[in-house]
Amino acid sequence: MTSKTNLKTALILIATIAIISIGFKVPSILKNYDNFNPKEVYKLKYRFFFKSGANNTSLKTYVPKSNSRQRISEEQISNDGTLLFLKKNEQQGNTRAIWNTKSINSYHAIDYDFTFEGKDKSFIVPKIFKNTLKVNKEYLNPTLNIQSDNKAVKDLAIQLTKDTKNDKEVIQNIFDYVYAIPSAPIITLTDAVTTILQKRASCNGKSRLFVALCRSLDYPSRIKGGIIVEKGNKRTSHAWVELLINDIWVPFDGLNNHFAYLPANYLEIYQGDKSLITRTAGIQFDYIYEIEQLHHVSFLNMNSKELHTLPGFSLWNLVAKDIVPTGALHLLLLLPIGGLLVAFLRNIVGLKTFGVFLPVLIAFSLSHTGFISGIAIFVGLIILIGLISYPFDRLGLLYTPKLVISLTIMVSVILLSTHFGVKNNILWLTKLTFFPIIILTISAERFSRSTVEDGYVRALDKLFQTLIATSITYFILSWSFLPSILILFPEIVLLVIVLAAFLGRYIGIRWAELFRFKPLLLSER
Amino acid sequence: MFSIILNKKSNKSSNVVGLNERNVNLIYPNNPKKYYPLADDKVLTKEILHKNNIPCAKTFGVIEYNSDIKKTWQSCNSNNALAIKPANGCGGGGIKILKKDKNGDWFSSGKKISDREIFQHMASIIMGFFSLGSHDRVLIEECIEPHPFFHEIYPEGVPDFRIITLNNTPLMSMLRMPTNKSDGKANLHQNGVGIGVDMKEGRLLDVYDGKKYSNHHPDSTFLVNGAPIPYWKEILEISIATAKAFPLNYLGIDVVIDKVKGPQIMEINVRPGLGIQLVNKMGLKGAIQQAI
Repeated sequence: MTSKTNLKTALILIATIAIISIGFKVPSILKNYDNFNPKEVYKLKYRFFFKSGANNTSLKTYVPKSNSRQRISEEQISNDGTLLFLKKNEQQGNTRAIWNTKSINSYHAIDYDFTFEGKDKSFIVPKIFKNTLKVNKEYLNPTLNIQSDNKAVKDLAIQLTKDTKNDKEVIQNIFDYVYAIPSAPIITLTDAVTTILQKRASCNGKSRLFVALCRSLDYPSRIKGGIIVEKGNKRTSHAWVELLINDIWVPFDGLNNHFAYLPANYLEIYQGDKSLITRTAGIQFDYIYEIEQLHHVSFLNMNSKELHTLPGFSLWNLVAKDIVPTGALHLLLLLPIGGLLVAFLRNIVGLKTFGVFLPVLIAFSLSHTGFISGIAIFVGLIILIGLISYPFDRLGLLYTPKLVISLTIMVSVILLSTHFGVKNNILWLTKLTFFPIIILTISAERFSRSTVEDGYVRALDKLFQTLIATSITYFILSWSFLPSILILFPEIVLLVIVLAAFLGRYIGIRWAELFRFKPLLLSER
Repeated sequence: MFSIILNKKSNKSSNVVGLNERNVNLIYPNNPKKYYPLADDKVLTKEILHKNNIPCAKTFGVIEYNSDIKKTWQSCNSNNALAIKPANGCGGGGIKILKKDKNGDWFSSGKKISDREIFQHMASIIMGFFSLGSHDRVLIEECIEPHPFFHEIYPEGVPDFRIITLNNTPLMSMLRMPTNKSDGKANLHQNGVGIGVDMKEGRLLDVYDGKKYSNHHPDSTFLVNGAPIPYWKEILEISIATAKAFPLNYLGIDVVIDKVKGPQIMEINVRPGLGIQLVNKMGLKGAIQQAI
């Protein structure tokens, strides 16, 4: 009995230490709570190099501003003293940085850097559009390159409205048409009409045609310019389209297939059919965008350095120094939480699952494949392998070699369907490799054994309960704040031990047993 | 809220034992893990039973290596009926009942079986086919003929009594019988039925088929409720003797009644199931209180 009391004391002590340690950090974290919650954070650097010409030389570029889905901060400009810098707000809400110099034939370098925090945003497109505010004419009128009054454009637009019942279907048709145009990295300017004629276009050509088609049907629309932010260096900018739908500008990207959706790494820079950089003609000029992805905690308005100064112990060091890959670190930290969850589901709820930690591992795979298709793939694989292995069960093979056969069949099925999926462009088939094969094999084997021992009904019932446990685990573990919380408060792992220890001494009746023993429990009352 | 999640109320007031409580309060403190093999391995179980002169099926032979199959089989061959079992089999897998006809040929479940097939079966037992891959032993023992008492209730298969003992005291019992749907198996979760037992009087109670109670076996009209169990006193005696013989204090002891030799211990179980509570319409904690 004393050893039990000692253990209890030790557990309570551990819990107290963990809670105190967490308590120390909570105030500074609450103080820095940030409800912007960016999904991705990058450090961007525009770098320009040029040799000034014989007269006044100027260089202009649009610079981004913060809005509801992106935050720009820590702007910094460094240029040599002979350059005159000014920032100018222009029409349509654009902002331009402008550098001028009077010096002749001299070399100049400009760095413009800032931090970009972005989140993705999707919009609901209503069936009928109704703008209540007065729409600026410029979003409806043709321009030199957006020839919405051209016959070819008009004919195409009318053709695309055929058999449509509402505004949404019209836009969907236009989008599908533009998306279907083969993309090509065309550097020369492609206007809307040329895009129709040459049947291939870059983002610019596609966007111009998209806007031209919309405007010819009187949908207010405009071109949007920016950069698709990715780790590394790049020189290309990007253009997409915005439509004014019920007084809101809704984005469409006919090159990368984003319908009423803007990914987190789209940096919005300017509006209108412009070029990102303009400069005095005829000078030597080069540029590059240097991009670095930053680690961040989505709900904290603190940069990496500030996170290091948090009181107490955190795992930020591991994240910031890239010692462990982020994905692997998250998996490691989430594993105990998932385990505790399964222990709860098994010992308190009373779910029966194939394998103890199988639901956790499958839940991790689901985050790569998506929930619905992942569950479908999982069930399909288990039942398929269970059925294929059935004749081998009948043969009377020894356990381990039989498991090898199941494993081999599993690997073959996965490879074949991945191959088939890649060849025929069936996306979900290519996702099979995300599943931990050994785990799948063992559960398939358990399933087929269970069908022999307990019959199909009980085996399917157990599979169903495994799926319930997997889904619950998935939805809790996919809460986006959870990995960051565990990185900031690794003490939670200690609490997991304490909770699991108490769970291990739990002797209550499981929820499932309330049903099993219902007649007994009722008669006792 | 916590008390709702943890079912605090129903747990304190109820006599029903759930899996958690069975594991934590009955199995872990009473059954040291190192003695589990004594119950899980039928050969070890029988060694202890024989040593203590507790009635059980006579052991004809134990085969550990393939090379011994022929020799041991020859020494058993003179019997007219016998059972071949894997020592560590689970769920009744790998058990073969063999009977000789007038010509001296062996028959298994109605079909003639050659010596070669018998040897093959024994070899697969040794290779662990019925015990999840680990090496196993073959147990050849006397075949039990059920007492005629059972025929009146249901004529097929071998019914057995499950007796739960705690610290050498029988707490609860049930009679498990096969049905037409259960393929010869008497387990509750394999469509067998359980019949409650009045421990004091040694009489049968209601039949429970996993869903509902009735006073007769689903495949016969014989009224079970109140029927006196033959040899009930002996059954309790050999159960207590068995419980005393093993260093395990919470057991499910399976007893069959042979038509000639009377009650025999079949096997013992260190993790007895909880369905017996439903069969007897009583929680285990209630039975423990009554026993004390």
